[in-house]
Amino acid sequence: MSQIDENQIHDRLKRLSQVEPGQEATNRAMQKVRNAITGEQTIPKLRLRLPHFFVKLAAAAVLMIGAGFVGGRLSAPEPLYMQQLQATLESSLKSSLEPVIRRQLQDEIDNRLQLAFAANNNTLKRELAQQVRRDMETYANQTLTAVSNLTDQRLIEFARMIEAARIKERQRVAAAFDYMGSRFGDGLVTLAARRDNLWDAERVGPAPDISEN
Amino acid sequence: MRSRQKELLELLDKSGADLYALLTRLTLREEVAEELMQELFIKLNNSRGFGKIANWNAYARRSAINLAFDWRRSQKQTVLALGQVAEPVSNDDSPLGKLIHSEELQETLDAVGRLKKASREVLIMRYLQQKSYDNIAEKLGKTSHQVRALCSRAIRNLRDILGSNEHKSSKKEIHNVTNR
Repeated sequence: MSQIDENQIHDRLKRLSQVEPGQEATNRAMQKVRNAITGEQTIPKLRLRLPHFFVKLAAAAVLMIGAGFVGGRLSAPEPLYMQQLQATLESSLKSSLEPVIRRQLQDEIDNRLQLAFAANNNTLKRELAQQVRRDMETYANQTLTAVSNLTDQRLIEFARMIEAARIKERQRVAAAFDYMGSRFGDGLVTLAARRDNLWDAERVGPAPDISEN
Repeated sequence: MRSRQKELLELLDKSGADLYALLTRLTLREEVAEELMQELFIKLNNSRGFGKIANWNAYARRSAINLAFDWRRSQKQTVLALGQVAEPVSNDDSPLGKLIHSEELQETLDAVGRLKKASREVLIMRYLQQKSYDNIAEKLGKTSHQVRALCSRAIRNLRDILGSNEHKSSKKEIHNVTNR
């Protein structure tokens, strides 16, 4: 099921172990933590050490400020046509500023996009070319391997066929020799028999002629 | 209260850099590591069983690992806008290489997060912090042999998780192709 091997996992873990934060970032993080630790301790102590007098003074000040605020709100004249004024201002500001802001925003986005595309274009081209080259090399290697394997297989099959043909040929020759051997033996036997007959005939001589008597 | 502060500051001086590096490796984001580092020490400061903790280093390391993987889990559930995605830490300059490496590392870290806690801690100490087996054994109160076995099992589990991920993704790709 698993297609990833342990070497790849070790490689990835090694890469992870090589990730190091910068010295500046480390110092900053440690300083922040140090501030957090010491800050958290000092704030409650300061609050505890406040004298009772200051607490009363602060409460009185808050009361006075609150009273002044309420009095001021009650004595101030009511805002007239506030909503209308706000609506008018809003519409006029909107009509004057919106197209300008929109245009500027669009220009800025265009500029940024163009810059980003210009910067990334060459890098992407190079990356793409490298990737295509790598893919082609892989494809060529695979094709070569496949062709080589196929050729080997065909050669083995060819050798097997030649061997089979040779064995068949030998069997036929052997059969022919057997046949010839058997025929040669029969011929010799026949020859010997005929020769024996001839010899017998010569030894006995010609048959007497009894036709004169 | 003062003794706790003192101990935390000592811990920060002694292991702060290591903890920060560990958090950076587990999150692959320096700014997140910084936040988590702060959170870690605030948690340590507010922990109730302060007097009962015998080994502060081990406790802090374990808490840091848990915080980092909690963050990773929460990130999975949050859909980030394009502008919010920060550049991950990477040594490769090319964009494609960065992307592939970053994907692989994120996938590996997610798989590490799915391991059991004991295996995960040993694996992180051994492979991410590059500590020796003897050192890990001493810190965890185990034998070196046990640590080796744990590491080996963790790698095997990691391979299974990553393998099943690949299997799933390849099946999904095939499904997508056939749908087209």
